[in-house]
Amino acid sequence: MSLDALELELRGLPGVFAVGFAEAEGVTIVELQAGPDACDELARDATLLACSRLVQPLAVEIVRWGDGPPAAPESRLRVLDVTTDPAAGELAVHLARGDERAVGRASTAHGLLSVVEATVYAVRTFLPRLPYLPGWARTVETTPDRRFLVLASVTDPEARSHLRGAAEGGTPLEGAVRATLAALNRTISREL
Amino acid sequence: MQLPRGDGRAASAAETARGGSGLATAYHALDDVVTRFALRDAALVVDVPSLGRQVLHAGRRPLHNDEQHLHHAQPGLYLDPPVDVPLLAEVMVAMTVLGFRLDAENPQSALA
Repeated sequence: MSLDALELELRGLPGVFAVGFAEAEGVTIVELQAGPDACDELARDATLLACSRLVQPLAVEIVRWGDGPPAAPESRLRVLDVTTDPAAGELAVHLARGDERAVGRASTAHGLLSVVEATVYAVRTFLPRLPYLPGWARTVETTPDRRFLVLASVTDPEARSHLRGAAEGGTPLEGAVRATLAALNRTISREL
Repeated sequence: MQLPRGDGRAASAAETARGGSGLATAYHALDDVVTRFALRDAALVVDVPSLGRQVLHAGRRPLHNDEQHLHHAQPGLYLDPPVDVPLLAEVMVAMTVLGFRLDAENPQSALA
């Protein structure tokens, strides 16, 4: 994966308007400039993306510009559970918005992409007009304590825009659900 | 206005445009502007439909504390020292927006 691809992914994170790279004493420094609409998890998301794409050691610096009024508190979807039914070849993603629950189901035939599909279907319970379709997901790292770092992508085919998220979970399935929500949450939070 | 002769970087930018990503092409062209006009620095500010306002700094360098306040700037080509070539600014902005759009539509180009 090239530097271009990483930069494009970083610029795709909400609120990011500039990306720069520098080297200092063998350390690659990735600097992001972000506006007031950047999400709280920007540093984590950017670090996970950079770590998955660049040879380490590296450092990620975030420069935030707090122009404008404070952002309104965001609504977020929560992950309740991910279940699989091997006999039926199906998995189910359970989400919650406050007290409301939603379940998205998909065939397990497509591996981690099935998790993205089920998550998107569950999100559509709350947002029927959600324009994003499942794109891809992959595990990029497994930590020594058996945590799974997963990247996920969803696509709006009409706007030709892609959202990507990174998250970790106790299983690849959980990581893929959280990564899909990380990709979507900032965009959909205004409508939740 | 007669642009000074290039040092071959323009050909390199054109080569990037043939097979590289839109982003790489924009950076190549921006660096070429710095070289041809013997500038200290340059930056591009563009509005991209799927990304919003984006700032590209020559050499892919960090903006650090953004002394030029590019995060507030309108779309355009920002040169240090200033050089008034409106057509160049328009073309650079248009090419960069197009580059972002092409990369969004064809992510494989950015993987090359």
